[in-house]
This record gives sequence, C-alpha cells and structure tokens, in this order.
Amino acid sequence: MKQTEENTQDQEDLRLLRESARTLFDRAGGNDRARKLRDAGGRWSAGMITELAGAGVFGVAVPDENGGLGMGLAAAGVLAEEVGRVIAPEPIVATIGLTIGLLHRLCPDHGMLKKAIGGETVLATAWQERGPTGVAPGRSCRFAGGKLTGAKAWVSGAVGVEGYLVVAEGDDGAVLTYVEAGAAGLNVDGRRQADGSALGELSFSATPAELLAEGAAVEAALADAVSDTTALAAAELVGLSGRAFEIVLDYIKTREQFDKPIGAFQVIQHRATDLHVMQEVAQATVREALSWMDCAGTDAQARARLASRAKARAGVAAKKITRDAVQMHGAVGYTDEFDIGLFLNRALVLSAWLGDDTYHRRLWLDARDKEGAER
Amino acid sequence: MTDWNAMTDEDFRREVHQFFESEYPEELRHLPHRPTFAEVEHWHRKLHAKGWVAPAWPAEYGGMGLSAAKLLIFYEEQQRWGVNRGRDMGVQMVGPLIIKFGTQTQKDYWLPRILSCEDIWCQGYSEPGAGSDLANLRTRAEIDGDDFVINGQKIWTTMAHDATHIFMLVRTDPDAPKKQQGISFILAPMDQPGVEVRTIRTLAGETEFCEVFFDGARTPRENLVGELNKGWTMAKALLSFERIFIGSPSLAQNALGQLESFARGRGAFNDPVFRDRFAQAALDVEDHAALYARYADQLKRGETLGADVSMLKIWVTECFQRITELMIEAAGPDGGTIGPLQVGNVSVDVLASFYKARPTTIYGGSNEIQRNILSKAVLGLPG
Repeated sequence: MKQTEENTQDQEDLRLLRESARTLFDRAGGNDRARKLRDAGGRWSAGMITELAGAGVFGVAVPDENGGLGMGLAAAGVLAEEVGRVIAPEPIVATIGLTIGLLHRLCPDHGMLKKAIGGETVLATAWQERGPTGVAPGRSCRFAGGKLTGAKAWVSGAVGVEGYLVVAEGDDGAVLTYVEAGAAGLNVDGRRQADGSALGELSFSATPAELLAEGAAVEAALADAVSDTTALAAAELVGLSGRAFEIVLDYIKTREQFDKPIGAFQVIQHRATDLHVMQEVAQATVREALSWMDCAGTDAQARARLASRAKARAGVAAKKITRDAVQMHGAVGYTDEFDIGLFLNRALVLSAWLGDDTYHRRLWLDARDKEGAER
Repeated sequence: MTDWNAMTDEDFRREVHQFFESEYPEELRHLPHRPTFAEVEHWHRKLHAKGWVAPAWPAEYGGMGLSAAKLLIFYEEQQRWGVNRGRDMGVQMVGPLIIKFGTQTQKDYWLPRILSCEDIWCQGYSEPGAGSDLANLRTRAEIDGDDFVINGQKIWTTMAHDATHIFMLVRTDPDAPKKQQGISFILAPMDQPGVEVRTIRTLAGETEFCEVFFDGARTPRENLVGELNKGWTMAKALLSFERIFIGSPSLAQNALGQLESFARGRGAFNDPVFRDRFAQAALDVEDHAALYARYADQLKRGETLGADVSMLKIWVTECFQRITELMIEAAGPDGGTIGPLQVGNVSVDVLASFYKARPTTIYGGSNEIQRNILSKAVLGLPG
C-alpha cells in the first residue's frame, strides 16, 4: 500500500513539474521563440537559461547532497518532453545529461557544478570523435602536461558557451578536463544543422586544460551520462512528436477540400489514428524506460539497454509523425511559413544525435543477447 | 471461500500459475486449434472442482469474483502457460448477460449448467450481411404463442457443430426507426429440426467456424434475456473489459518466444538484416506492454476504460502478424510446410502460428473499424 502512495505522490510531483515547465515555456512564446532565435542566427537565449535555472531545471536529477532536487531521470524526462514541445533551442538535455551528469558524478565539490546548476555558466561536453566512416571507436585526443591535443566532434551547444568539458586520453586512461572557450590553440567549427542549431567540431593544439577527474571512474561516469542523455533525448523527441501530432490534428480538422474538412476522409482518419497510436506507445515506452533507469541503480548495462530502447522507439515515432504530418498538410507543409516544418527539422537533428533508431536497436539487441548469455 | 482480491497481485499470480503448472495437461498446452469439448473435458472437470471455471463471475453465482485487475492477471497467466480457454462462450458471454439482465429463474436454471458445461454455448451474432456492421442483422424472431419462431442465418459461429445452445441477437421489430433498435437477445437449443449447422473450412484447414441456418426453429419466450428490443445495448455493455483483454500482449509475446528459439536454431541471428527485424518486432512487443501497463493501472485504480483502449488491439494484433511472418521467413524453403518443424530440440509449427495470427485483425471489430472508432471518439475527427 505504501508503495502505491509513494507512486501517487511521485506522479503528483511530476504533474506539477510538467505544468510549471509548460507555463514557463508558453509564456516565453512557445515554438515561435524557436523560430525567432533560428532566424536571428541560431543562438539561444541566456535569459531563458537563467529562468530555467531559477525553476531548478538543471539540478532536477542531481542528488540533494550535490545541490540538486534529487527527483531522478523520470523528472528530467518530464522537462525534456516540455523542451521538445516548444523545440527550445537551448542545450537543456545536453546540459542536464552530459555536462551536469559528468560533473556531479566526478567532481561534485568543484565550483563549476554549482554554477552550471545555477545557470551562471553554460558548458558543452565534447566526448565523441570523428573517424573515417563515422564515430571513431577509440579516443585519440590526448591530454598530457596540462595540455590537450586532438579533435572532438558532434558537440551539442558548442557555439556560445563559456567552456567545454572534454573527455580525453591521459597517461592512465580516460580523463575529464575543462577548457575555456577562448583558450589558446582551440578552434571551434560550428556545423549548421537542419533546425538552425550547430554541432561543434573542436580541435586542440596544445590547448591548456584543467584536469577535473581521471581513472576508471571517468569511463563509468561517461557511460552513465551518455545513457541518461540518450534517454532524455528520447523524451525530448516524444514531446516534439506529441506537439507535432496536435498541430496536424488541428490542421486536418480545419482545412477544407471538396466541401469538407480533410479529416472527414477515412484515409486521413486512419493515418491520423496510426500516428496517435505510435505517439502513445512512444510516450509510454520512454516514460517507463526513464523510471526503470531510476530503479536500475548502478547496473550500467541495464541502463544502457533501456536508454537504447527509449531512443529507438522515440526516433521511429518522431520521424514517422513529423514526416506524415508534413504530408497531411499538403503543399503548405513544405513551406517554412507553417510550424510543422520546424518540428520535422528538429526531429532530424535529435534523431541523429547520439544515434538513430537503427543504431539503438542494434545496441539493444546486442545488450539483450549479452544479458541472456550471462544469465 | 477465498477472497482472491484481498491477495497481493504477486501472490495471486503465483497461485494461479502454480495451479496451471501442476494441473494443466501438457499435451493441451499452446493448442494450435480450437478443441471440441470432448478434448478438454478432463481439464474442465479439474477447473470446475477448483471453482475456477468463471473467474469474472461474482462468487454468489459460483464464480471467483475477481476484480478487473485480478482478472487481467488470471488471463495473463492463462495465456502465458498456453492454457486453452476451452468452450468458454457460456462463461464469457452468456453468463455475464444473464447475471446482469436475467430473471432469477433464468439465473437459477442456466448459470449452474454453464459452469458444469452441461450446456455448451455458441455465439450467434454475425450474419452474411452483418459483419463489421453488426446492427444490420436480419435474422427474425417472431412471437407465436409461447414461443419465438426464428428464421434466418448466422455465420462465423465458432464451434457451433459442438454446441448444445446458441445465444443470439435477433431482429424482433423490423419497423424500428434505427437499426440498432428492434434487436433482442435470446437463447435457443441447437438440437431441433429447424436448425442446420454447416462447418466452414478455413485457410488453415480447420473447421472451427460454422454457418447456422434457422428455418422455423423455436425457442420458448422465457428464453428472452432482458427486455424485448433492448438486445443491442445489452450486448454492447459487455464489451468494456473485452477491449483490454483483446489487446493483451500475451499472444504476441508467446509468438516472439517461438520466433526467437526457432530463429536461433536456424542461425538467423547471424544475419544483420534479420537481427534488425527481430529487434523491431521484439521492441514492438515490449513497448506495447508499456502502454498496456498504463491501462492495467487504470483498471487497478477502479477507473473505467475509454474507447482509446482499442489502440492496444490494433498495435498488438498487427505486431503478432509481423512476428509470425518473420517465422515463415526464418523457415526459408520450409515456410510452406504443414505441421511442426524440428530445430534442435525445439519444434515450432510455423504455419499454425501464421494462420492463428490472421483473424486477430478481423475479429472483435476489425482493425479498420477500430481505427474508425478511435478517429471519432478519441481524436474527435468529423464525419
């Protein structure tokens, strides 16, 4: 019985969190704000970062003792869904999942954690590297004698931040380092994405960096932070596809052809129903995965498998829903004037980031096989 | 009398599972066809002795009196262990209607006979011109003295050739302003000159479906259940629970388990294309379960399910079909072979699974009808 009461209380907390985040984003202008910022050059709003920090957004999944709200990933997922609904351009999921995820696990006493939770500083995390055919399997960016040399790729939120967390190879395995945005020998190249944002390609040549953490803990923390971020990106996609579906549903109820709303045609009704079912399954899956990840504790393998399951489902749903939504808008769906295209473009970027559905199905099945063999 | 609802879900699940595991005959597990009563009679006797024939009925009528949440667990365990539902039309369909709308005399007479399977029931709803559009039914029942006289034809009557009685929707007022009005719910004996049963051979080569012809067949007027001309509303009132049950993940989960052992035996998991398609199917099943859990929780909180629960049926039946299609692919050149295929120590009847999956998107309201319902009742689309 106690269990049920706690669950009910948790559900109520999440509902309140969802409501306050939605109000905050709506008051700021909803997805119109995303369009304006995109047209202004693809930056995000520092004011929004401050406002979000004031609402406790960045520390939501950080344990109480490290200065967070200690509400877990399920709560972070609620926020990520709201981010997705208004396609907010701020790097919120990357900050919660990667930057703060690494800092609170590896150096909870460093002043940077408090500043990141408080929104006083925004950092981007650089951990992947580009190989000849995609993501490089190993790490060749080196940290030695207080200096970084090498390159990093696909850095979310890389343009406009005050500094970078960089995972590199030290003398004894992985290290987490910090590099200031203006540091010597640092070059940041922003590659423009479909939604107007930029993914950073960073290169370092004897760039001064501060060592934050080293040893096996870094690999473990990175794996966990990547799992978290992957699952949160899935939640962001779920919010996005949910809103995209609302938009297209509204459109087919009002757009008239042959003297009736196009939503009165059975073929449109059935397609809309399929999208709705797809969305409901995706939402249930991602929420379940996040709350199970909260329960999985230190089982990194299980958390990674759940994250892959979430991202695979959310990716399939968001791609299908945004693309079908454009089709059901007809010609105006292909114009930039209608909002639906913003959602399609954002879905493209979020699906590809941290791996698309095919990639995550592969990881999921590999993990399932492995766990089956261990049992 | 045990109060099952007072048990924790876990304890109840364990108890149900243990009974099936220790008592259910191995040779009847995952039966690929619908059995005649004779085939499952010894199992029915055990169930009857245990008092478990009618899990959903109130205890005062000889049922288990399970809450919706416990009922779901019961059925989940039943399907998981591959326990055949037996000839349960009486328990599932007639009994609840009599309990809800019948007279005391009807309850006293019919309910014990349903539990003991002294009467075996079949369902006379569909007609050649009344499938998805069920309210279009034409079979007439006219009052003649103390009897109804029945003329017309029913179809897709499952196992009618092995039934003693039929419960049916019949038209009793052909002049009613709407076709949903003027329909009544009556009970009739099968063993009489005016009733003729012909079996229909299915794609799977089985003969579980029948056509039933009525030519002046008779049934006493006291076999009307509920009010005259109110049959449509009564029949619909029963469907609420049916809608989540029909969307339960078990069938697809069982099929996925079969696909996995079969495909492993066949080495299909070395093929990256097959791996992705398997992962898609497996995630379709797992993710459906997440949505299903949401509705099961609603039932546990005592809430009534809305029309949106039909999503479960659409998703899981189509997913079930894709899984059985993958089995056929994994079978390669054996994909058209009738009967069990042996792979290592596993034996899988690929075609039986395939055939079993086909009607799931048709029965219980075809998936197209479900989409119509969802688009209007849930999405609020016009027309």
